Order: sequence, then structure tokens, then C-alpha cells
Amino acid sequence: ILDDPDLKDIDPTVLKHCHAAAATCILEAGKQKADIAAISTCLEDCKLDKERIEQFCTEYQKNKDALEILLGSIGRSPLHITDVSWRLEYQIKSNQLHKTYQPSYLVTLNIENSDLGSHPDVSFSCTMEQLQDLVGKLKDAAKSLERASQM
Amino acid sequence: MIPPVLWQRRTSPFCSWILCAYFIERILPEISTCQLGRTFTRTCGTAGKSSRLPVSWKSSALPEEKVLLRSAVGELGRLAVELLRRGAAPRACEATARKLNIGVDTVQHGVEGLTYLLTESSKLMISEIDFQDSINVLGFSDELNKLLLQLYLENRKEIRTVLSELAPKLPSYHSLEWRLDVQLASRSLRQQIKPAVTIKLHLNQNEDQTAQVLQTDPSTLLHLIQQLEQALGEMKTNHCRRIVRNMK
Repeated sequence: ILDDPDLKDIDPTVLKHCHAAAATCILEAGKQKADIAAISTCLEDCKLDKERIEQFCTEYQKNKDALEILLGSIGRSPLHITDVSWRLEYQIKSNQLHKTYQPSYLVTLNIENSDLGSHPDVSFSCTMEQLQDLVGKLKDAAKSLERASQM
Repeated sequence: MIPPVLWQRRTSPFCSWILCAYFIERILPEISTCQLGRTFTRTCGTAGKSSRLPVSWKSSALPEEKVLLRSAVGELGRLAVELLRRGAAPRACEATARKLNIGVDTVQHGVEGLTYLLTESSKLMISEIDFQDSINVLGFSDELNKLLLQLYLENRKEIRTVLSELAPKLPSYHSLEWRLDVQLASRSLRQQIKPAVTIKLHLNQNEDQTAQVLQTDPSTLLHLIQQLEQALGEMKTNHCRRIVRNMK
């Protein structure tokens, strides 16, 4: 804002105050999910004229959705799984044990941590039965999700 | 001093266990001498001669002596299996040594030899015939061979399970708990509806259980399910089936 040619004439401190005030107003409106009427009322109380209120509200409407998404993504949550990769292998022998002949799966869950931006992936191995158990449980979760969404 | 005849037989997998089996062999005549009070010509240890148990002993052993010998081998066998299951048990060795009236060192060597024999045979998963052929080389009596074979067959599955735990491993799956959550509001945004599935993944790593709490959203969950079902389906494809069949 400080580099904007249109606003060159105004005192930088005042500019900053205005900017901060506007930002706070927008964020509060977004947080409370206020509708146009509420915002208008609020701005009228601040003694802004109708034209400016209309302009403000139009701009707000345009960016409301993006704002809500942004606000919704702020906050702590457990590590979030984004993707899964798997590998199927067939063990033949190890130096301790020959003729094992066992299939096994190596599953890696890609994880995203919004705080640190780190990706501490979780890897584990499992047998076919264990993987079936895992998939069964995830399917149960999905089914209950479906039922909940239909209620 | 290992008799030359033993060195000529078998390739390296068995050479070393023959060495240890040699120790077993040294005990058995000792046990027999002590228990039975007879003097046998112990030809083992003499260079150039085959270390076979004297033929005379084989045929002249009375039923009670056979029972005693069986119990001695049974004792050693039991100690060997316990060694594999739980590790060294010096007190048990001492007790057995006292019972059989021989030195503790001898018992220990014998047990270690038997352990090695069992471990190598189980590791390679040799068939009955191969096992019998291998121990026939040592020239034990038929009954002893049968005892050893029985010991091998009874315990090989368990030994293989124990050995499989020595292989390098990644954390392995133990179980999974899930919970369906809906986020209704947060500090930065009120009036939300954000469904999420919270998952607690229990993993085993080197006998420690770790639990990790993770979260997904519904679409990722469905994606996970689809991917993992694909993984499961892979085992049933022709390619994998062919490999499994040919490997065995």
C-alpha cells in the first residue's frame, strides 16, 4: 500500500491505521460469517456514507469464499494424511532364515503438517491379512461417514 | 582333533555343525560310561580313526541303558530348545550335569552343539531324508538318529518363528482405531461443518508399541481405500500367482 501511487499524498501512519482497521473489519466479518446486512449496519454505526459501504460490501462478497477457506485452514490439527503409497514384495530368504516365501506389503502414508511444513511420512510393513484388516476398518469408517451424511 | 572322514563329507553348511555335533558325540559315550559303568573303547579323538561309537556298544546296550540314553539325549534336547526359546540357562545346565553325573562344560558344549544342529537344519528347512542322511554320516545308532530326527521335526516350526524375528524389520502394523469428527467452529472461523476422520495407528517396532494420531478428510479416506484395495488385488493377478508358483 505504501508504494501505491494513488495513496502517495496521504500520511503513511494514517495509511497503516486504515489498512489495519479494514483488515480487522474484514476478518471479523469473515470469522462471524456475517451477511451483508450485518456489515452494513456495523459500518453505518461507524458513520461511513452509503456509497463507501456499498463498495466495501461488493468487494467483500467477491472474496468471501476465499476468505472463509483461508480462515478455516488456520488452526492446529493432528498430522494430516494426504496420500498413500504401497509396495508388494515377496520374501524368499534372509541371512537368518531361508525359504520364507512370504508376501508382504510396505505401506507409506504421506503426511502433511500445516504447522512446520514438514513431511514425516509414516511407513510400516504388514502381511496380507493385516492389510485386509486395515482396509476393512477404513471401509467401516467410510460407511459410517456416508450414514452420517445422510442423516 | 577332528577325524578326517568328517571333513570330507558335505559342503560348508554342514561342516560347522558337524564340528558341533562332534561335541555331542563326545558326551554320549561319556554319559554311557558313567551311567552304565562299562568301559567302552572310545575311538573318537584318535587321529586317523573314524569317530564312530563302538559297534559293540550298539548291540550290547540293555533296554534300561537304552532308556537312560534316551533320557539323556532328551534332556539335552530339551535344554537346547529352551536355549533357543529363552536364552542361556546356566542353572539348568548345572542341574542336568549333576543328574547325569558329568561335567558342566561338557553339558554346555553338548547343548550348544545340539542347538546349532537344530538352528541350521530349521533355517535351511531341510527335508527328513536330508536330515537323516546328514546325521547318518556321524555314525550314531539308529535310535539316536530317530531321536534327533524327532527333535528336529517337533521343534522346527517354532525355531523358524524365532529366527524370523531376527530379520531386519520396519515398524509393522498392529491395529487401527478410527473416529468420525466434525469441526463446528474454531478460533478463526465460526459456524463451520468440517468432517474429518481421526485415526490412531498402532505400530510395533522392535517390541515397542507406538501409536500415532492422524487425520484425514473424507475424500482422502476414499482415495486411501481405493489404493489399498488395488494393492490387495495385486496378489491375485496372474503375474504374482505365476511367481509364487515358480518360487516354491
